[in-house]
Amino acid sequence: MADMIRFHINGKEIACEKGASILDAAKANGIEIPNLCYLKDLSPYGACGMCLVEAAGSPKLLRACSAKAAEGMEIFTDSGRVMKARKIALELLMSDHSGDCIGPCKLNCPAHTDCQKYLAQIAEKDYEGAVATIKDKVPLPASIGRVCPHPCETACRRQHVEEPISIAFLKAYAADRVLASGNHVLGEKAAPTGKTVGVVGGGPAGLTAAYQLALKGHAVTVYDKMPQMGGMLRYGIPEYRLPKAVLDQEIAEIASLGVELVNGCAMGKDITLAELREKHDAVLIANGAWKSASIRCPGEELEGVFGGIDFLREIALGGKPAIGKKTAVVGGGNTAMDACRSAVRLGAEEVSIIYRRTRAEMPAEDVEIKEAEEEGVVFRFLTNPAEIIGEDGKVKAVKLQVMRLGEPDERGRRSPVPVEGEFLTLELDSIIIAAGQKNDPAGFEDLPVTKWGTILADEHTYATALPGVFAAGDATNKGASIAIAAIAEANEAAKHIDAYLAGIELPYHEPVYSEKELSPEMFDREKAPRAVMPQRAPEERNKDFKEINLGFTEEQATAEAGRCLSCGCHDYGHCKLIQYADDYCADCKRLKGDHHPGFQETRLVSIERDQGKCILCGLCVRVCEDQAKKGILGLVGRGFNTVVKPEFNDAAVIGACIDCKLCAENCPTGALKIL
Amino acid sequence: MKIVIGEGSCGIAAGAQKVYDALAPLLNGTDINLGITGCIGMCFLEPIVDLYDKGLLLKRLVKVTPEQAGVIAEAVKANDLTALKALEITDEDKGFLDKQTRIALRHCGVIDPEDLDDYLAADGYKALEKVLTAMTPEDVIEEIKTSGLAGRGGAGFPTWFKWNAARNAAGDEKYLICNADEGDPGAFMDRAVIESDPHQLIEGMLIAAYAIGAKEAFVYVRAEYPLAIVRLEKAIKDATAKGYLGNNILGTDFSCRLRIKAGAGAFVCGEETALIESLEGSRGMPRLKPPFPAEKGYENKPSNINNVETFANVSWIILNGGQAFAAMGTETSKGTKVFALTGKIKRGGLVEIPMGLTLRDVIFDIGGGIRGGKRFKAVQLGGPSGGCIPEALLDTVIDYKALSATGAIMGSGGMVVMDETTCMVNMARFFLDFTTKESCGKCVHCRIGTKRMFEILTRITEGEGRPGDIELLEELCEAIRSGALCGLGQTAPNPVLTTIKYFRDEYEAHINEKRCPAGECAALRTYVINKDACKGCTLCAKKCPVSAISGEVKQPHAIDAAKCIKCGQCKTVCRFGAVEVR
Repeated sequence: MADMIRFHINGKEIACEKGASILDAAKANGIEIPNLCYLKDLSPYGACGMCLVEAAGSPKLLRACSAKAAEGMEIFTDSGRVMKARKIALELLMSDHSGDCIGPCKLNCPAHTDCQKYLAQIAEKDYEGAVATIKDKVPLPASIGRVCPHPCETACRRQHVEEPISIAFLKAYAADRVLASGNHVLGEKAAPTGKTVGVVGGGPAGLTAAYQLALKGHAVTVYDKMPQMGGMLRYGIPEYRLPKAVLDQEIAEIASLGVELVNGCAMGKDITLAELREKHDAVLIANGAWKSASIRCPGEELEGVFGGIDFLREIALGGKPAIGKKTAVVGGGNTAMDACRSAVRLGAEEVSIIYRRTRAEMPAEDVEIKEAEEEGVVFRFLTNPAEIIGEDGKVKAVKLQVMRLGEPDERGRRSPVPVEGEFLTLELDSIIIAAGQKNDPAGFEDLPVTKWGTILADEHTYATALPGVFAAGDATNKGASIAIAAIAEANEAAKHIDAYLAGIELPYHEPVYSEKELSPEMFDREKAPRAVMPQRAPEERNKDFKEINLGFTEEQATAEAGRCLSCGCHDYGHCKLIQYADDYCADCKRLKGDHHPGFQETRLVSIERDQGKCILCGLCVRVCEDQAKKGILGLVGRGFNTVVKPEFNDAAVIGACIDCKLCAENCPTGALKIL
Repeated sequence: MKIVIGEGSCGIAAGAQKVYDALAPLLNGTDINLGITGCIGMCFLEPIVDLYDKGLLLKRLVKVTPEQAGVIAEAVKANDLTALKALEITDEDKGFLDKQTRIALRHCGVIDPEDLDDYLAADGYKALEKVLTAMTPEDVIEEIKTSGLAGRGGAGFPTWFKWNAARNAAGDEKYLICNADEGDPGAFMDRAVIESDPHQLIEGMLIAAYAIGAKEAFVYVRAEYPLAIVRLEKAIKDATAKGYLGNNILGTDFSCRLRIKAGAGAFVCGEETALIESLEGSRGMPRLKPPFPAEKGYENKPSNINNVETFANVSWIILNGGQAFAAMGTETSKGTKVFALTGKIKRGGLVEIPMGLTLRDVIFDIGGGIRGGKRFKAVQLGGPSGGCIPEALLDTVIDYKALSATGAIMGSGGMVVMDETTCMVNMARFFLDFTTKESCGKCVHCRIGTKRMFEILTRITEGEGRPGDIELLEELCEAIRSGALCGLGQTAPNPVLTTIKYFRDEYEAHINEKRCPAGECAALRTYVINKDACKGCTLCAKKCPVSAISGEVKQPHAIDAAKCIKCGQCKTVCRFGAVEVR
């Protein structure tokens, strides 16, 4: 038997063969020392500086990959000095690592839905795969795909070529295909935990949390005061945008996981928070923001004045609000668009939008504004209600203050200023105020609230001041926002509720990732226009509430998905560099500076190289030399400008390569990609 | 009578060959010998012509031009040297050499480097003879141990220890390597030794090869030293022909072959493991240590690497005894050290002094202090791996330990003197620029870390420094020092650390006040005309390349700061000192 030696790592006695490196001895004893340039069968290289460890009595840090374990040594792999040294090595590496870990679509999606992945799956016609990818974050893909204002598309880099990818509609396309097939794609359900969670509110946040928690094996009950589940998706979004039959199917899928749905249950009336806490191991409050905000204008109490969401809800409940022949909607957001277009469909002859800024400042989506115009809505920009004039207690007209745009504020938005003495009068039968919405704190008196009256919850864990009570979505913190933001919060809340039920606390730190600096040549590509969603004609669709979008054809959908530039790194999730950078909370931007020469190269047989991501660990060069016995690759240039050469598109190289893929398999980052 | 011209690279660059070519025809048909020698060591007086009679130096003529060849030839032919009085070295300048103690340089500028007989006449190869005939390898190592000789390449590791480790390493095949990859900016000690006394190097190496048991030796010399290579090649040929090199040297059973490997000029190849990689034909990148070269070096065989100056001391030690060498110097540093004294110094050149003298002795006593009446500011020791030492520490003794305590290092011997017009931030930036370019690119700390430091220093000198930059530099320095793979990276922060340590106020002035106290950083310089001193001569306005200066004749002029490109022309041409830099 070989000579054995004994030494200590982090106070633990280790025995290993004489001549073993500290790294190998540690690994054999279950102690991981990070490394980026080490490979067991190659001689140690010492480039990355990740395996630095401290030895008692030595002023220098040792490289564990090459330093031999010696009898009696005292090694520390996680001392403050070691952690700091590794962190700065990572910060240096990240400062010269040019690539996008995560595509801008995924980054900008509040729920971080992996758009790039499901687009690729759609392009490959793997619709079930795509739905599985989406449902990891969004359990209502057919519904959300129809209504989401898609921050993903706002960030989509394809717009620098011509137009962004139609990501939201593709999501709906994939989900519709799978729903139509009768198959149900649901996440994998864990064994029952015996724990129960009560969710208040069956909107996008509540349903999402119910889905995620049910998958974790918890028994979930959703309580909702309305007759049916769906929340604002059902009662705030008109049928012509989201057919309720679609929503029903998706809710049924969630229910199929064993989630109990209790409707007609109002907080504080039918059940109290105390009862919920008694009944369940944890409670999530996600009851949304259902009160229309006032515009503090005289005459708001008159008959014929409707709140925007109240108006939409009444229609969803099957009612036909009495708006008369002439109506106006106050506001410039998506609710205002939903309200005015619904008013058109109810048969009003003249529907106006009253908005105090101009079209450019309207928060509603462009396409909604365009469709409203097509359907005959009149836009009265730079006007603001000064008084709603009544007659016999009923709306007769609105007096409008004429506005102009003032100087831009700190966010660059020009605020409206009244033009002194200039007014207009608009004759009306009714007026709909769609100027925001508020939550209703009734039933949650035990919980601290923010200055806006929303429920105060931790911004990372969504825990409230009461143990076991969490809150997410429109009812909390910053208040009402878009559905996907509520879904994002619900996902996070579910994660922390699950941890809470397991008796653990999840640590939080800002996720670390690399972002590429954009350059014009990245977008120098052949143009391919964005797919146009087929729609019913305006003069036909404005007469009923049937869905206006007809849906993509398969040909359209796959081609559209194929326009994706695949900005996010193929290696994210496997990349050792970013894993360590995240583990050590490395600040990727602190040491920002020049980048080494980097460019996307053409392929070497079946490998594609992105030099900008290369961290010069030398593994590709060394495995090609020592293991593949080819020695095709080498390091060229000196210092900061060192690169791996030759070019992959060099004919001589392609001839010599045996396509063993060892280089790419051993690349610790996404610099080499197997095609 | 014999005329000898100093023809080291430096002398030739100053025009020594032209002087030689002018003199040679004038001496045809006379019995006057015309010869060459290597580097005399007084760069500031080149070209130098020495007149010898019967081996005695009669006169040393300095700053000689080819036009003066006639006067010299006439005087020598007439054997009346009075006409040469004006060309003679002054007594003050003579002190430059007289105050030195030359061991490694003892033949430099004295013998003809291309003539083996000259070397033999100066006791050449006597030490080798002694070693081969009367000493065991262990005796040799013991003698070197007694001498206290330490590595002159910079690190100061005891020479005997390395020799002993290589000797004791398992294996029959061992290699001896001479590191002549001298790369520090401003350092030229090794070049001078090889160009001026190549046999001395060969002899020292042969003794070392005998001591460690090597039959194969290499001199790794940078290709930028063509003259050194030519002279070393000739020396190897001559020594081989005379039986001092090759098989059965001096009739003994000791055989050793010596080869030259010309390096392609990568600074990192001065790092011993990178040098070995390069010698093997690979890319010059450092290897991890351990294993040390004594265990696994060239071709993974036990190898010993020493620097040129280290070898140049060996034969003297053998002939005079280790005790004699150890008698010079301090408690921890024995013998002498050669420095290349350069920069804003009055008398620059090669200086060999016993350890233990102070920096002040070298810079002021031997070097004559600062040129042009300016004030001394700092001296950079050890090149890009070393650090600067300020005026307050000029009495530091030259000793490995004492110099390290200042934050600088002994280094290989580069001694760059700076005066008040040198911006210390820019100086640090200069060295970091060098390091980033010379980094091999292998380890993260050196490849990216030094680059980031260089970028930060650049923005500071360009007036874009940010609060916190000094602390960020210090943080990076610490990280690179402890994280870099080899000596190049580990010591790269030294110029920054020492300038921050001794001249933090200059960094702060750049960052906080956007001001360069030394007036060197162009981006932070403002040229202003002092109205009281300006005579209105219009010269500056005429010379200004961007027409930034305006004014009536005989009226004070003014500079338009918005147009000024800070070229400094106005200041240079002004005869009244009216242009001031702020």
